[in-house]
Amino acid sequence: MLNWLDQRTGFVTMTKEFLTEDVPGGASYWYAFGSATVFAMMLQIATGIFLTFYYSPSAATAWESTKYIIDKVPAGHLVLSLHFWGATAMIAFLMMHMLQVLLWGAYKKPRELQWIVGVILFIVTLVLGLTGYLLPWDLNALLASKVAIQIAGSAPILGKDVLLFLQDGSGIGTLTINRFFGIHVWLTPAVLILLVAMHLAIFRWNGPAGAPVDETPKLKPGRFWPDQMFMDTVVSFAMFVVIFVLSIVSPAPLDAKADPNNTQFVPYPAWYFMALFSLLDVVGGAPTWAVDFLGLFATIIFPTLLIVVLIALPFIDKNPSRRLSRRPVVLTCTGLVLGGAIVLSFVGQYHVQEQQMLHGLGGPAAASTTATTTTAATTGGGGAAAPAGGSAAGASVYTANCAGCHGAAGAGTPGAFPPLANNPVVNGPAAKVITIVNNGLNGPVTVGGATYNGVMPPWKGNLTPAQIADVITYIRSSWGNTGSAVTTADVTAAK
Amino acid sequence: MGHAEAYKDPGTPEEQSRRTFMVNAVLALGGVISLGLVIPLVDSLIPSEDATGGAWSPLTPDEWAALQKATDKPIKVTFTLHSVDGYLPPSDDEQFVWAIKADEATFKAQRPELFDGSGKVPYPVVNLGFTIFSPICPHLGCRFSWVDAQSKFICPCHGSEFSNIGAHEAGPAPRGLDPLPLRDLNGKAELTWIEYKQNTPDHIVLRIG
Repeated sequence: MLNWLDQRTGFVTMTKEFLTEDVPGGASYWYAFGSATVFAMMLQIATGIFLTFYYSPSAATAWESTKYIIDKVPAGHLVLSLHFWGATAMIAFLMMHMLQVLLWGAYKKPRELQWIVGVILFIVTLVLGLTGYLLPWDLNALLASKVAIQIAGSAPILGKDVLLFLQDGSGIGTLTINRFFGIHVWLTPAVLILLVAMHLAIFRWNGPAGAPVDETPKLKPGRFWPDQMFMDTVVSFAMFVVIFVLSIVSPAPLDAKADPNNTQFVPYPAWYFMALFSLLDVVGGAPTWAVDFLGLFATIIFPTLLIVVLIALPFIDKNPSRRLSRRPVVLTCTGLVLGGAIVLSFVGQYHVQEQQMLHGLGGPAAASTTATTTTAATTGGGGAAAPAGGSAAGASVYTANCAGCHGAAGAGTPGAFPPLANNPVVNGPAAKVITIVNNGLNGPVTVGGATYNGVMPPWKGNLTPAQIADVITYIRSSWGNTGSAVTTADVTAAK
Repeated sequence: MGHAEAYKDPGTPEEQSRRTFMVNAVLALGGVISLGLVIPLVDSLIPSEDATGGAWSPLTPDEWAALQKATDKPIKVTFTLHSVDGYLPPSDDEQFVWAIKADEATFKAQRPELFDGSGKVPYPVVNLGFTIFSPICPHLGCRFSWVDAQSKFICPCHGSEFSNIGAHEAGPAPRGLDPLPLRDLNGKAELTWIEYKQNTPDHIVLRIG
């Protein structure tokens, strides 16, 4: 049978030729990062193809069809979750693979072009992650992608054109989804496969670089099949098991449908963009005169510089030695960037959680539980419903009604609306605060030596006593305030 | 470049048996991965349970009045069919059926297949004095119409012809026209939209409502 096939196609000979390959120094688990990344890619292609049986890219159907996949399609949520976690696995292994090549100096002559193709593969994979993030068209998809598109659009050169190109128009809408879909399922995968083929072809030409040592003694050749293939399979299998388990215990989330008017939702980037997101956030706290430049630096200049340096690395670092001790500059820089990225990622994660607490959301899972009930209701701009009661509800009332004047962080507006943070009246007797919120306030007030002369409307009648109690409890326990909680009964008892 | 240096030496017996183990392990682990992937992927393609809007579609008083004008010459009756199409919002679409005034004896005499065997329909053929016909040709699903001049239903696609009570007279259709259920619920007429598998003499339900 195989003979019959081989005589006519040569496939068996070709496969043997492909598998009968020397591995200098013998097979090693150190060589499995690349093959595991390829395995993750194949997993993404397989699950992605099956998701397109149901997914429909348009503003009217993207979220609905994703929800349909989760709720109605047999094993649909599992397939979606395998794709979701597969993306994480692919990028994680790609990063480890890249880091190993950097540490081992494997990008050096004669593997410069293999390295450059690899860096491009890394960028293409990030584009896949970014475009895939928009497709479910939930609140997070819309808001996180909006941030990403705005960042791309903030480039001093061609920024506006890039923005319009990515959005396919003046706003993020159905055409943007279509465009990202085309990029995500056709353009980038096609490019990816071609580049991977190129990367592997060059790899076969040069062979693996091996451990970072200079003396290349006559290494005893090992076998690719089955020795290396066995190790590759073990690692890929372990990866698959982890992806599968994660897909079951922590399936892909879907927040409420995208709504541009939502003011409550705190978008969170994918973990592999968290460091950049966080960098932007950190420079946002810089003095006003420096913010513009630092923002540009964090979002455009630094990432561009990083890519340019990575691509040019084999030509910058011409020192032929691959020994770790002879490459202090490259290793130090790698360590700094990596360490910085890890620290920034944690800072960003903390910041997102802090914001979510402030806006009364427990995180993506909490938002997704409200998804079913608020589908129709979110159009009014009220946003994802916060769970009733407690400071989460108060935060929600505050953001919707009070933050416009008193500020999201309770800092107030100079001259008009007093700060609530560290305001002795807010922290003082509850009755006074209830009276102000119930009946409003006119005329000048003085807080911390500054005078404010705005108009606060009465809220009795506009908000329920329970909402007023919630919001007062919230402002008395936020931003360093330490006032006691207020009950609905306190509010109804007040005049 | 030597591409197969390592393969010249067949290795010690221990190495050989280790390699046999590795080949088997690659095949086994690869098989487990394939199963873990193929099962959910194929599972996801299983067609959904029919998502229908409801078994009975009410006729408005006007539609019911129109239906009652039917004699032994069929007339077209429109109604609103509530349907759910995948993840799209449920929709109410205008749909039509053919209606004739009829009695069961005629059907029993001229279309006995509706009362017995695999062509049997599990509901009365004549209801409230009328019979409703699905507008879908049982051959390949085109919509046929009543041609007054010839006193026949004629399908435009392949020329199947049916009598006024839907008996197959000519053309490739494998069975006569499909009657649909009609009922009177608390003074309100309702009918059920049923789609049967085409191009077979049997009545095999594809969709209800």
